[in-house]
Amino acid sequence: MSPATGNPATGNPAVLELDGVYRTYPGSPPVEALVGVDLRVEAGEMMAVVGPSGSGKSTLLNIMGTLDRPTQGRLLIEGTDTSTLSDRRLSGLRSARLGFVFQSFHLIETLSALDNVAAGLLYRGVTGRTRRTMAQAALEKVGLGDRLHARPTKLSGGQRQRVAIARAIVAEPSLILADEPTGNLDTATGDGIVDLLTQLNADGSTIVVITHDAELAARLPRQVEVRDGTVLPEGQR
Amino acid sequence: MTDRSTLRGRDMVSTSVVGLRSRRGRTLLTALGIAIGIASMVAVVGISSSSKAALLAQLDSLGTNLLQVQASTNGLSIEPLPIDAEPMIRRIDTVQNASAVIDTGFEVRRNEHDETLVGINALGATPEFFNTLQVATTAGRPLDDGLRSMPVVVLGDVAAIRLGISELAGGPTISIGGHDFAVIGILDELPLNPDLSRKVLIGDRAAVAMLGVPPNPTAVYVRVDPDLVATTRPLLAPTANPGRPAKVDVSRPSDLLEARAEVDQNLQNLLLALGGVALLVGGVGIANVMVISVLERRGEIGLRRALGATRGHVRLQFVLEAALLSGLGGMLGVLLGSGITIVYARQQDWVVDLPPSALLAGVGAALGIGMLAGLYPAAKAARLDPALAVSGGVA
Repeated sequence: MSPATGNPATGNPAVLELDGVYRTYPGSPPVEALVGVDLRVEAGEMMAVVGPSGSGKSTLLNIMGTLDRPTQGRLLIEGTDTSTLSDRRLSGLRSARLGFVFQSFHLIETLSALDNVAAGLLYRGVTGRTRRTMAQAALEKVGLGDRLHARPTKLSGGQRQRVAIARAIVAEPSLILADEPTGNLDTATGDGIVDLLTQLNADGSTIVVITHDAELAARLPRQVEVRDGTVLPEGQR
Repeated sequence: MTDRSTLRGRDMVSTSVVGLRSRRGRTLLTALGIAIGIASMVAVVGISSSSKAALLAQLDSLGTNLLQVQASTNGLSIEPLPIDAEPMIRRIDTVQNASAVIDTGFEVRRNEHDETLVGINALGATPEFFNTLQVATTAGRPLDDGLRSMPVVVLGDVAAIRLGISELAGGPTISIGGHDFAVIGILDELPLNPDLSRKVLIGDRAAVAMLGVPPNPTAVYVRVDPDLVATTRPLLAPTANPGRPAKVDVSRPSDLLEARAEVDQNLQNLLLALGGVALLVGGVGIANVMVISVLERRGEIGLRRALGATRGHVRLQFVLEAALLSGLGGMLGVLLGSGITIVYARQQDWVVDLPPSALLAGVGAALGIGMLAGLYPAAKAARLDPALAVSGGVA
């Protein structure tokens, strides 16, 4: 079973496919952050990309999230080859199909929780009313239905990350990419976030969690380990 | 599902407003730079426009139909006006009134033993002088037909101050050419003919008989039909001196006042240019603050890119922020400049005249400067690598 094809036995379509991806940063000497990565993420999956810092997992996340482009190789999102897309098309693809959760939350301080979540639909061209309705539903889903109008500064770390998760799911993306989502949280709060992500996965969301925390990774159904810019064969850790 | 990144126009604006609202203090201070530039420009335009309006209103009340005929001072010799210049001019249909005056050249003294007052001259005038120049006395009475050859005098307002005579109680007299003249009146101001304020008026006959000056008028003041000033003016020289019309000058005193309304144009341009410099400095300030803002907000920019904003959306957001910032400054500036104009005009007893076009131009100029100032920082923001930006680390 090769990582590039995943598990065809399930019959699930691939949400994301990395096909021989290299990412080299220019310089002297050039830094080879990714060296021939093949990876397939199927619809409905929940997986951890785990590795120590400097292993290339952040670069991998950026490539998977189309925030960075491979130097060589292809990234397919739901069958669409992203290497030839313009900035405009790529941005559109992000707004429609990808949801991001960051370690540092990236909430806008002057906006309420509701408006922060609604911002997840800002570039979808829907009206403010629709955005707010959908944002409220998303906040209720993450258990913050009673804090709709709170500013981020009035929320705990765990609540802030829940707001960020609500923002990531509000557009109902095909794939949620979470970068160290528990990195700024204490263990108990972090566990709550992992439970929430697990719940969302059970409800059908496809989720990739990037982490250096092996313990966290172990709680997820599938783990992929990154070392020195390559993905280790699964089951050989 | 369409994979198009679309930002509605309204959302574009509110996104930019959020950016400004989150840094209120800085927004206000930056806008202040623009406000000062716009305020100074609006105040310059407003004050000079109010001043001009006041001057024109004054002209309106004074009338522009007073003409002055006098012997030409061009050429080698001055050819005096004929003795009958005034009656001849009166015969023109469109002339409403005329008065000949004779500059005696005599300077006046408080009394026989005192020094003469330099620049305060005696002027012989016909009784029509007061009606023609439409000037009243603030004290006493004007000269009339019966006083034409009597030793009496009416003082110009400045002459009265120089002579130290402010009231007629006690029967003050002054000395002209060794003769005592009783002061019977003091003239009101003459805004159109300030030179007359420094004269003392005696009867034309008294001037000839007592001071021995030639009876030729040095000037004839002519009040003409207000609607026919232009057609009457060319008739005056040949009528006053049919033999030598070229030796006669005709002028309109109100032209001087009117010219004053235009004379300030150069100064106004200079002040406007200074306001423009302030505006440019304000614009550079905006560019500066926006560049810093872009650096500080890398995280937000990365987030927006992750949420699906195109480079164009990011660029537009920052250009719009700069324009709004500057537009805010422009509106503040227009208010401030209008306020300055109103206060100053009130102090000067002017009618406030704030041209709406200047106010609109103020806000427009601010918006334009803001957009220009925003271009560079916005391009910087749009060029940011989203992967780097998103790890820029803003909580």
